[in-house]
Amino acid sequence: MFKLDRKLVTIGMTLALSSTLAMAAARSAAPSIYKSKPGAIDGGVTYPREKGNYTAYKYNEQSTEGVSFGRPATANEIKAWDVDALPDGTGLPEGEGSVELGDELYEAQCAVCHGEFGGGGKGYPQLAGGNQDKDENGIVITLKNQRVYGNTDAPKRTVGTYWPVATTLFTYIRDAMPYAHPKSLTNDEVYGITAYILAQNEIEIDGEEMDDEYVLNKEKLMKVVLANAKGFYPNIDGPNAQEDIRAFFADRAKNIGAGTRCMKDCKDPGGKDGKTEATLMKIGYEMKDVVPPYAYARDLPPEKEGGSVSKAEKMYDASCKLCHATDKMGAPAVGDANAWKSVMEKGMDKVLVNAIKGTGGMPPKGGNMDLNDADIKEIVDYMVGASK
Amino acid sequence: MSCVDTKYKGEKLNRETEEKLTSSGRRDFFKKTASVSAVAATSIMVPSTVLADDENIMHHVKWGTTLGDECNKNPYGVPSLYEHNVVRRTSALMSSAGDMHAAISMTPLHEQKGIITPNGLHFTRTHNGVAHVDPEKFRLMIHGLVEKPIVLTLEQLKRYPSESRILVLECPSNSAAEWKGPQFGTLQFVKGMMSCAEWTGVRLKTILDELGLKPEAKWMLAEGSDGSEMSRTVPIEKVLDDAMIVWGQNGEALRAEQGYPVRLMLPGWEANLSVKWLKRLEFGDKPWYAKEETSKYTALTASGKAIQHFYANEVNSIITSPCPEIPWTDLEKGDLVEIEGLAWSGHGTIDGVDISFDGGKNWVEANLKGLVLPKAWTRFSYMYKYEGKPLLLQSRSYDDSKNVQPTVNQEKAVVGVEGVYHRNAICTWAVSDMGEVSNVQIRS
Repeated sequence: MFKLDRKLVTIGMTLALSSTLAMAAARSAAPSIYKSKPGAIDGGVTYPREKGNYTAYKYNEQSTEGVSFGRPATANEIKAWDVDALPDGTGLPEGEGSVELGDELYEAQCAVCHGEFGGGGKGYPQLAGGNQDKDENGIVITLKNQRVYGNTDAPKRTVGTYWPVATTLFTYIRDAMPYAHPKSLTNDEVYGITAYILAQNEIEIDGEEMDDEYVLNKEKLMKVVLANAKGFYPNIDGPNAQEDIRAFFADRAKNIGAGTRCMKDCKDPGGKDGKTEATLMKIGYEMKDVVPPYAYARDLPPEKEGGSVSKAEKMYDASCKLCHATDKMGAPAVGDANAWKSVMEKGMDKVLVNAIKGTGGMPPKGGNMDLNDADIKEIVDYMVGASK
Repeated sequence: MSCVDTKYKGEKLNRETEEKLTSSGRRDFFKKTASVSAVAATSIMVPSTVLADDENIMHHVKWGTTLGDECNKNPYGVPSLYEHNVVRRTSALMSSAGDMHAAISMTPLHEQKGIITPNGLHFTRTHNGVAHVDPEKFRLMIHGLVEKPIVLTLEQLKRYPSESRILVLECPSNSAAEWKGPQFGTLQFVKGMMSCAEWTGVRLKTILDELGLKPEAKWMLAEGSDGSEMSRTVPIEKVLDDAMIVWGQNGEALRAEQGYPVRLMLPGWEANLSVKWLKRLEFGDKPWYAKEETSKYTALTASGKAIQHFYANEVNSIITSPCPEIPWTDLEKGDLVEIEGLAWSGHGTIDGVDISFDGGKNWVEANLKGLVLPKAWTRFSYMYKYEGKPLLLQSRSYDDSKNVQPTVNQEKAVVGVEGVYHRNAICTWAVSDMGEVSNVQIRS
């Protein structure tokens, strides 16, 4: 016995050692599989495929060269779908619309959601309004509002104060508006509504104010410079865009905010002066109006009103259907008019007695002694009714 | 009443009554659901402890004494009827004027098991309602700065070799209500704008290899076919790295809410970029400035300027147990209990998670468990001895790009409180001495 035990111990130790070695080997092999490529465009890690692995995933190493499906797109198809427009105006369609035309259309189709004159207040995005004044660095002053220390208005993100380019306004209205009937406006109408919204934001084009008679077209829309055009970073334009984006994400501590792995006696100052020690902040006013309402019980859902399944049918399903669904078991099948016609020749009273006391191969009450006589009557009525 | 119910909020234990019932006070569910019969009291009584017999054991149960449903009653299966409260929820705050066509619904993270979100519980964001694309009429056009512009039907697209990846999708607005302070009292609404699924489709590079991408192509416009024509501009580097066009979600076709039949999938990047109901991919040399990357999905900072084109979801984590929905009110002092949570990073793989019990002053290392995959939810776990003392529970994750999840103060110092999007600050659960859990913040 002693020898056997020793043998078991040896096997156990070998197994333990080999699994430890295997784990160690797996760990040391990990870097070659999880090879990182720093400096990806988001500053993050990408995982190249190599040696049959894509991180933890296996993949088929066979070449996919020559795999090609689909058919060439026709020139007309591309023309039909390629209707986007760039900030420089490339892609904008011909057409024109006046502020006055836009006013009529806006009142009829847009004001219900976006408010009179684009002023919001209906729960949907506010399109016009807000102070566009800039500070000495060219930053829209009201966008610096922070609702955290003292009373401050929210920064307004309207076309006039926040949007960087006006071409987006045209394409978005054309493709996605009016909300319930997208793509129902003509290009002229879209130019008109675009003109109206720009006018409400007191935009000038080439130094010209947009009065009711002002007619907007492609050439004029291209010239619009919005107040917050330079209010966004990192740079995404020009030949250096990708490098600028990469540099931005490479320094997330400075640009986005990053943590530190302090483990003991950590300090976390902040606040307006950057020196106030962090304290506990509880919910002031809890948002509770959620749909459907919060509920956590593990119970049966409430019966739907006017449910299609009657009480009799449920009892039938539970206690009778097993034998009466077909005639395979010798019982008259529900739905078989002829079979039930001959059953009913005995008279309802006799049928009920048979159901309650059993008959032939059928046990009393179909075997469910929890059913009372009234239940049985309901069930039989249901079965007879469903078999006419 | 089932024993499980006692775990939930709103059903606090009446400890005083229970202490009278038994001096040991352990395992309340036996007591709560049991009736003390005279026989039980005399036959099982041991000094100082009375355990009542559980009716669920002493009597036959309904489902054991009746015939169950037919085997294939539901040809497409549904969850147990008893799970009917495990559902996505939304709020008027996440819509325009309560209109639920441009809105968002939240995944019930407190009921999330493992790392795969069931398709019926995947969070949903729509800008013009859920589109129902006819797969026979679906067309995908790929054009612009390519030698061979093409049109694909759904069947043709699915002919391409496929691969499957488990990936988290997180809305850029996740936790948007929390910038100025805690507002929602549940895990579902604090962090529910995210889900994780296995997505199946073709790598975009495999298709593009044959189309002759021109060297001046720097950007890709991805456009949806729904009423909002949701579109985004994607840098070419990401397109050629790991971007996919997917048609499979957890083993079946995409749900309509997730872009049926086809959506773009940009692993690790904010979900708004993974355009649903995909219709068109155009390659160009300039970015398009679509609405959802200018007036929306840009983060206004305290400087008055806004961050645009933020891409990857930052390193993040949340404790899912305990949480406000599943508190520790059923625990007794001395109980050993698991603290569990989810960590994820759009930059890569989670390297580890730390846990604090005192609101971030001191930290211990938690353990990762299960699959640890890049750009996917990763589970973390820590065994904790419950002492019935108030706690300020936090989790802090870090990834293989050396990113560490920031505190509220650390994030606020850089971006302020009006950013709306891209929030990844550490969350705090306050645990009361009774085990109740509430959403709080530690900040200046």
